[in-house]
Amino acid sequence: MAISTLATGSATLPDRSAAGPARPTRRRVDWRGAAMIWGFAAPALVVYVGFVLVPVALAAVYSLFNWNGLGPLERFIGLDNYVRALGDPVFLGAIGHNLLIVALSLLIQGPLAIGIALLLNRRLRGRTLIRTLIFVPYVLSEVVAGLAFKLLLQPGGPFDAFLAGIGLGGVTQLWLADGQIVMGTLFFVLSWKYLGFAILLMLAGLQSVPDELAEAAAIDGASWWQIQRHITLPLLGPTIRIWAFLSMIGSLQLFDMVWVLTGGGPVNATTTMATYMVQYGFQRSQLGYGSAVAVILFVISLVFALLYQRLVLRRDLAGAVTRSA
Amino acid sequence: MTAATLRAPERRRRVDWGSPLAYVIALMCVIVTIAPVLFVILNGFRTTRQMTLDPSGLPAPWVLDNYVAVLQSGNFWIQLGNSAIAALTTTAGVVVLGVMAAFVIARYAFRGRDLLFSLFTAGLLFPLSVAVVPLFVMIKGLGLLGSVAGIVIPQIAFALPTTIIILVPFLRAIPGELEDAATIDGAGRFGFFWRIVLPLSGPGLVTVGVLAFVASWNSYLLPLLILGDPSHATLPLGVQAFSTTYSQDTAKVLAFTSIAMLPALVFFTIAQRRIVGGLTGAVKG
Amino acid sequence: MMNRSRITRTVAISASALLAVGALAGCGASGDDGGDGKVTITWWHNGTGDPLKSLWQDVADEFMAQHENVTVKVEAYQNEDLQRTLIPNALRSGSGVDLLQAWGGGELKDQVAAGYLMDITDQVQDTVDEIGPVVSGWQLEGKTYGLPFQYGIEGFWYNKDLFAQAGIDAVPTTLDELNEDVAKLKAAGITPIAVGAGDKWPAAHWWYNFVLKSCSPDVLRTAQAQFDFSDACFVEAGDELEDFLATEPFQEGFLATPAQQGAGSSAGLVATGKAAMELMGHWDPGVMGGILKDSGSQAEATAPPFLGWFNFPGIDGAQGDPTAALGGGDGFACAAWAPPECVELLQYIESEDVQKRFGASGAGLPVLPAAASSITDPNLQQVLEGLQSASYVQLWLDTTYGATVGGAMNDGIVALFGGQGTPEDIVTAMQNAAATL
Repeated sequence: MAISTLATGSATLPDRSAAGPARPTRRRVDWRGAAMIWGFAAPALVVYVGFVLVPVALAAVYSLFNWNGLGPLERFIGLDNYVRALGDPVFLGAIGHNLLIVALSLLIQGPLAIGIALLLNRRLRGRTLIRTLIFVPYVLSEVVAGLAFKLLLQPGGPFDAFLAGIGLGGVTQLWLADGQIVMGTLFFVLSWKYLGFAILLMLAGLQSVPDELAEAAAIDGASWWQIQRHITLPLLGPTIRIWAFLSMIGSLQLFDMVWVLTGGGPVNATTTMATYMVQYGFQRSQLGYGSAVAVILFVISLVFALLYQRLVLRRDLAGAVTRSA
Repeated sequence: MTAATLRAPERRRRVDWGSPLAYVIALMCVIVTIAPVLFVILNGFRTTRQMTLDPSGLPAPWVLDNYVAVLQSGNFWIQLGNSAIAALTTTAGVVVLGVMAAFVIARYAFRGRDLLFSLFTAGLLFPLSVAVVPLFVMIKGLGLLGSVAGIVIPQIAFALPTTIIILVPFLRAIPGELEDAATIDGAGRFGFFWRIVLPLSGPGLVTVGVLAFVASWNSYLLPLLILGDPSHATLPLGVQAFSTTYSQDTAKVLAFTSIAMLPALVFFTIAQRRIVGGLTGAVKG
Repeated sequence: MMNRSRITRTVAISASALLAVGALAGCGASGDDGGDGKVTITWWHNGTGDPLKSLWQDVADEFMAQHENVTVKVEAYQNEDLQRTLIPNALRSGSGVDLLQAWGGGELKDQVAAGYLMDITDQVQDTVDEIGPVVSGWQLEGKTYGLPFQYGIEGFWYNKDLFAQAGIDAVPTTLDELNEDVAKLKAAGITPIAVGAGDKWPAAHWWYNFVLKSCSPDVLRTAQAQFDFSDACFVEAGDELEDFLATEPFQEGFLATPAQQGAGSSAGLVATGKAAMELMGHWDPGVMGGILKDSGSQAEATAPPFLGWFNFPGIDGAQGDPTAALGGGDGFACAAWAPPECVELLQYIESEDVQKRFGASGAGLPVLPAAASSITDPNLQQVLEGLQSASYVQLWLDTTYGATVGGAMNDGIVALFGGQGTPEDIVTAMQNAAATL
């Protein structure tokens, strides 16, 4: 009995989520025990507080100063940096770009990933190989991907040649130079990179949908589409919600890909909050201003995350952040 | 139940009918996914002149010079080494610190546990970019600027939230009876952790390890600002710097890029079953 | 019951982890002084293509041959990355580079104020005297922090064949004539002007030149000293530029075109005969040669044979000095932590022999008057004449004003190019940026 439980340890996870967290060992916490507990948690806590929380707090402090990074913090200017950032049309544009990518990811990548995952969930020969290949872009660094596409999308470059080769020569645009469509190009490259991850996540979630339910519905005469709509998709809910959260946060923090692919251009058409921070903060030696931008970025992420937790994830992660278990 | 068995052959036929569509979609996905990667790798075998004259052709003749030049450049090996050291150290640090913290959070009730967990979870919201300016100042103050340790420690710190969030459900699922059995054997909490929990949490550890490794290997912003000097930097920085040094010589840049891709691809091929399995477990959790 | 071997193993693992972190802390720092007399100099420059790349490598090799204990590590990086990201990062971290490219002006001023650069006044006094007044861009309060190796003025590099094809028999001397020529080229189906607006500064130089021809030298000097841009001429220059932009004289997709990278860059377009002219500094023939060589069109990195040069035309009725010129140079400086051999390397670069080879390579205009005879390219000789006859030479405005104001200025100009900003916006952005200093 014990041995089989050992072997199938992870298989008990779905049951656990339905029943609530496993009973933690009810043991009165003695001093030695407390020492051990905090001893275990301390290293992670120290590193985390020291190199995540403290810097974030420091960023908030720096944001109140006019500081070029050298010498002491002398020129306190209160909220001027924030006023300047929120009044700068380039920064507001950057926020808009981030929000646009969030929206496009949810509306386009999500359904696309779900659809493809549903179709790939059948018994296919070479399923493992297909999954591996689809996941490859996720493993590559954003820099490598951005560079490859920058070369591919040059005017008259390989992508244009490919389009001409299949008879779509008239469709070619200045993919990276036209301010109107460059966001679309950026989104296309981002999708190329992250769709595989989304598909894999959905496939993983689909595996927890019991076959018997679909079979039973099929026996009752439900069509494939009806089965998906009424059984599979709702059960896929938790996965979709987790993916949406990760996608949202990732879209808000976007930097590497944009920096390498377009540098924020042309003429600020693809700036994101993070590229704006590096360009106006670091490159202009205005670290106080850069910190203010960073804090704004964090606040926006926080608002999104809290709203999301409250409104959407409440059922799935009961007790994770908003309440104690 | 009997009806189900009777219907089984019919059901299978229904699934088979849908398959061709699935194959087509799968094929299209794979092509779109792999084509750019293949393009980069194949064009490393051409000269820039070939590329200018015929942007989408195959190498004719196959030219090894670019790849050889990259492999012979001292910078490449230094950058590769730095990336490897950084990624391995980050992974080790993240896994060790993460499993220890997740273990106590998952299995023991103590004052401050929920606060601790929330603290780590909130870390998901702190993008590295927010902390990058103060981190720069801190790392400089510690004298670690320009050294690999200067990026490893922050990377460990920022990877802890994801790690702990993934590991807590894993560790929680280990049945309480095992711990009771361990206590009876006189093992104590540490023994339980060392002899039972760690081996059992293998899949979870591999998952978070792989995620941490990939994140560290691909990270760009932090090394950009902390390491600065491309000849002592990590591979993503090296790729970018190389692309500007040889901006005229596109084929050579593509050769460097494809070699830079290789470690990640190889690593992924080896670990891919674990990654998928781990994601499955994490999603269910 | 703790297994003793387990404890030992734990301790061993933790200890080695600590050791590894400790080792990492030491690893990665660039060791300039190996402690045994061996010296390494890391040299960063922007000559990513031939002939400059080979020239600097030869210089490094020769220096190493003359100084046995010195190793010179030469790295070439693309100009923008080098100037905006790599050098500032390295300077901030206090290591990584010893001999760095230095453009002078306000940028140098900021670096000196931060204590990043070595004061080389005493060592290079003779060289300073030889070079002459242009060194002032690399000096501050009488002290020398860097030396220029090339200095020239900006103008139009044009394709004589294409001009002839469009029926243009004389180069334009006024803005009106330039507009006429643009129209003639368009009528002949030729892209009139290439601009690498993707890199920002090539577009910005257009505004700088318009300002130069619209503002009197006194206004410019005040602007430089006090960041005072209140004179109406700055906005007037922008208005003139806006009108010029409205004639659509540039190539398609100019907002994302780079200046110097590959055959699709603005330099590449002119070099391959796809555009008729480009407003660029004196290094352009060298860049074009490098592009032609790397793309396989030529075996040697030489400028295309059809290349000609003319000065930026004057604007009728404007206040600027019509013979004023916008110019600048490149130089090198030693970082504050560089080994003393760095200054020797710098002086070797400035030596008459190396300067003559630089001039002969066609990569640019050597700064040493004694090397002027080595310039064989007739176009570069024209540039030199232009430099010598200019009554007032203004250093590139973004270099002059420094990264904060310069960056804001360049962004404003690019917005104007993209049809999204106004001439007033440029001045406002500069004033706002200056206010934060």
